[in-house]
Amino acid sequence: MTGDTLSPPLDLSALEPALPVLSEALMVVAIALPLVLAFAALVPAVRRALPHLLVFVPLPALIAALAVPRGLSVLVAPDPFRFTLALDAPGALLLGGSSLLWMTAGAYAMAYLRKDPARPAFMVWWLLTMAGSFAVFLVADVASFYLAYALVSFSAYGLAAHDDTLEARRAGSLYLALTVLGEALLIAAFVMLASGTADANPQIRDAVALLPTSPWKTPVLVLVLLGFTLKMGLFPLHVWMPLAHSVAPVPGSAVLSGVVVKAGVIGLLRFLPESVPLPGWGAVLCGAGLFTAYYGVAVGLTQRHPKRALAYSTVSQMGVVAAVIGAGILNGTAGTFTIAAYYAANHMLLKGAMFLAVGVAMASAPRRAWAVAGVAGLLGLSLAGLPLTGGAMAKYAIKLIVPEGVAGTLLTLSAAGSTLLMARYALLVARSGTEGAPPRGLILPALALAGLALVLPFLLFEAVTGLPAGVAFTPAALMKGLWPVAVGLAVAALLAWKAPRVPEVPAGDILHTLGFLGATGRTIMGGAVAADAVLRRWPVAALALLGVAALVAATLTFAVVPL
Amino acid sequence: MSALLVLAITAPLLGLVPLLLLGPRTGERAALGMLAVNVAITAGIAERVAQGGRALGYVVGGFAPPLGVGLRADGFSAAMMLMAALVLLFTGLFAMTGPGDMTRKVKARGSAGMPATFFILLLSLACALNLAFLAQDLFTLYVALELLTFAAVPLVCLEGKAGQLSAALTYLLFALFGSVLYLLGVVLIYGLYGTLDIAHLAGLMAQGTGGATAGAALALMSAGLMAKAALFPLHLWLPPAHSGAPPAASAVLSAVVIKAPLFLLVRLWSDLAPLPLTQVAGPVFALCGAAAIVFCGVVALAQERLKLLIAYSTAAQIGYLCLMFPLAASDDGPWSALAWTGGTLHLVSHALSKAAMFLAAGLIAETMGHDRLSGLGGVGRVAPVSVAAFGLGGLSLMGLPPSGGFVAKVMLLTSALQQGAWWIATVVLVGGLLAGGYVLRVVVIALQHPDSDAASGRGLPDARECRWRALIALALAFGAMLVGFMPLAPLPFLDIGRPVTWEGLLP
Repeated sequence: MTGDTLSPPLDLSALEPALPVLSEALMVVAIALPLVLAFAALVPAVRRALPHLLVFVPLPALIAALAVPRGLSVLVAPDPFRFTLALDAPGALLLGGSSLLWMTAGAYAMAYLRKDPARPAFMVWWLLTMAGSFAVFLVADVASFYLAYALVSFSAYGLAAHDDTLEARRAGSLYLALTVLGEALLIAAFVMLASGTADANPQIRDAVALLPTSPWKTPVLVLVLLGFTLKMGLFPLHVWMPLAHSVAPVPGSAVLSGVVVKAGVIGLLRFLPESVPLPGWGAVLCGAGLFTAYYGVAVGLTQRHPKRALAYSTVSQMGVVAAVIGAGILNGTAGTFTIAAYYAANHMLLKGAMFLAVGVAMASAPRRAWAVAGVAGLLGLSLAGLPLTGGAMAKYAIKLIVPEGVAGTLLTLSAAGSTLLMARYALLVARSGTEGAPPRGLILPALALAGLALVLPFLLFEAVTGLPAGVAFTPAALMKGLWPVAVGLAVAALLAWKAPRVPEVPAGDILHTLGFLGATGRTIMGGAVAADAVLRRWPVAALALLGVAALVAATLTFAVVPL
Repeated sequence: MSALLVLAITAPLLGLVPLLLLGPRTGERAALGMLAVNVAITAGIAERVAQGGRALGYVVGGFAPPLGVGLRADGFSAAMMLMAALVLLFTGLFAMTGPGDMTRKVKARGSAGMPATFFILLLSLACALNLAFLAQDLFTLYVALELLTFAAVPLVCLEGKAGQLSAALTYLLFALFGSVLYLLGVVLIYGLYGTLDIAHLAGLMAQGTGGATAGAALALMSAGLMAKAALFPLHLWLPPAHSGAPPAASAVLSAVVIKAPLFLLVRLWSDLAPLPLTQVAGPVFALCGAAAIVFCGVVALAQERLKLLIAYSTAAQIGYLCLMFPLAASDDGPWSALAWTGGTLHLVSHALSKAAMFLAAGLIAETMGHDRLSGLGGVGRVAPVSVAAFGLGGLSLMGLPPSGGFVAKVMLLTSALQQGAWWIATVVLVGGLLAGGYVLRVVVIALQHPDSDAASGRGLPDARECRWRALIALALAFGAMLVGFMPLAPLPFLDIGRPVTWEGLLP
């Protein structure tokens, strides 16, 4: 596999000697443009023009993903600040995919929110999240990664909580709480990583290269895995995802499920060493991923709203990505990260398009909703890996990493589960029609994204795996891709014919068994307030004052130090 | 010899003259001018210290210590002075009578500038703070602390409300207890060594002739300073005083006034006490700091009023500086230097961000007519700049980049982990989580739709925030963010002039 040396599909290297500044500027502009526009939105004139501009803002990122030579790094701020940008193969895949999703979903959002008085605020959060997501795929030094990661994570709150319903408030608060927790885990990991190097803010690559021999290897790996799988929604850290992704406005859900969770994926890819085998760690990650893949399907099947079914599908699919990464680092397989990013980019486009489809169906008359469900179903089957769709190429690629055996079989079978969940989703989409006709501003971006999602994986396959695309079209490969989908469809038909009555699992599932945590928190707070009231009474405080003096004096006196 | 040091102490007092002689409006402008001059003087001192690479010294009246009184500015104190001067100037600008303040409508809302008394107190604070940062003998420091307390207490009860008076009285009494303990310690030291000059004392103490008495003296002085800094568990006076005062007063109280005793606590243990003693006593302070961070953080989470929340956050945040003691006093050179820089940067960025947050909270309360969190839904629409200032200031408390709080947190974490102090690292992280909880809680409420349900009967008021005041708060918050662009390495400036000596500084 030549994943590591993935050359830019659009080869502008001929331009390189003449215009070396061009690629560097592209990377900077990709991040700076949405960021600057977010702040420029304070100016009323810019704010009015913004809906028309939103489609074009991700353009520099798209061009950068296509044209910038791999491995090029730009030092934006000199030592000792070290704000460094670099593009490698996984970063380029995710950057390119996300820029396409941002473009189409941006056009869609402006039509979707055309009557919403709070649209300007949504656009600002949109731009900030976009800037953060591009940055997270591009930055190469530890501190800037933390900054970019915080930007994309916290700004996404504005997208999730936009509708400001009671549900959205609760989902948003949970999201924020877990985001803060994730940031705390990661800063501890990053500080330990950086401590091993001579640099206060090293390149991620250099710091990770030292990780296998670091005295803090175990804590760093634990914290990195916890911090990033929290963002990816791996069981049992997935509780926030179905809540947050289903309460957001449709375009917000699309980028949350499509792009924001990929910040967790790129985090794992950046902060785990690819070529050094980590057997135990890989097995744990792979196992957790596989479990999540099935768990997401099982809970998702009971959902009655298409967006929640999709959110659980994201949980399941991120489980697949985690399983692939886990299997890769288990053996130190070269090319794992590029293929994992390829699969994630495939999911990014498909899931984005599927969310947009839900919004189209909800604005359509029932009859038309069935037509939308047809497209949605096709996208779903592509996600499950139906041969001759783009998704099948991505499925083929990850099989190169996950060896035959228990893990490989489970991964193949999970496609059957995906098919089942996607059938459920298509059915829910078909039923979600109300009345009226969706505006073209919704239909066109959704169709464009659906088309891209189905086609792009074919174009990238050879560059990612180093194999000719034809290998995925041999009869054996086609059969291997077909039977899980067929099994899934058969089970779906069986369930449609004679469905058992299963109650809907409330979104957030195991969260609802954790109610005692909230009660404990309230008890602790109440106890602290009561204790504070006691401590702040005069006699207690006066005694404490003398006590502190006595404590320091006693410590000094009894310590074995010559005075 | 540098006359700038004397000027730093006397110039603020000169500003009092026009305030007392001319009318309040003219006097107010003169006072602001003097606060600006104060910034220029402290910047000049910092610049000279940085240029010369050594401390500046001045002996009052030409009598060299230990006989006379010496002033001395090293890197650490120059940084503190500049920070305090900036916060005082910005708060003064916030409190001045603005262009629209004389209209009756604004007056009715109570948002006019502060009375002339406020500026008298502000100038006195400037003088007291500069003296505390510069003085080199324990008794002059006592005078500075008293001056500080007597300028700070009236700030609490400036409006004369009943709650403010009782809060001010609590503050005054507890600060006096602190003074008594401090003075007791000074007396013991004088009895033992016959001098109060820090540089000479440091030499004498290092020879190890103090015995248990020296230890008791240090302990008494430390407890006194902790009482004045409201370090847990001695924080009884802080929440009512800092939350009840007018916003501009709260800002200086939380941002700079409690930093002076903390500064002296550091000076006591880094400059005066020999290193082995500091290594023994350090964990005690760190324990108090850790308890402050965790306990007061949890209590802040439970608060229902915005200003009380910020006040408890102050009580929590001063704990970070105390975590620095065992780390900075260790024998592990580079990592202890990192902790030293981290603690100082935390102090500076907390001062800027907390001033911004208190000012913003004042504007929010003024716009809404109250500061109950449950009724602040949607305040982001009527006070957007204030909410932005609060949020950006909060970034520093949470330790998120780009902010001074982030840089400080990374330095303290790195130092703690390198020295194997896992419990300190854990406390730093937990403190960040708690700060995230209470800051984001406010921001989330502010971003929500206004509560329009009939039950509460509340909507958004017609009033809008005072825009130019909100911009001042925002500027302070940006200041805290700017500190975040410091390189992640020990700052050599803070080590200038340490350890404390008079050599080369005196004629």
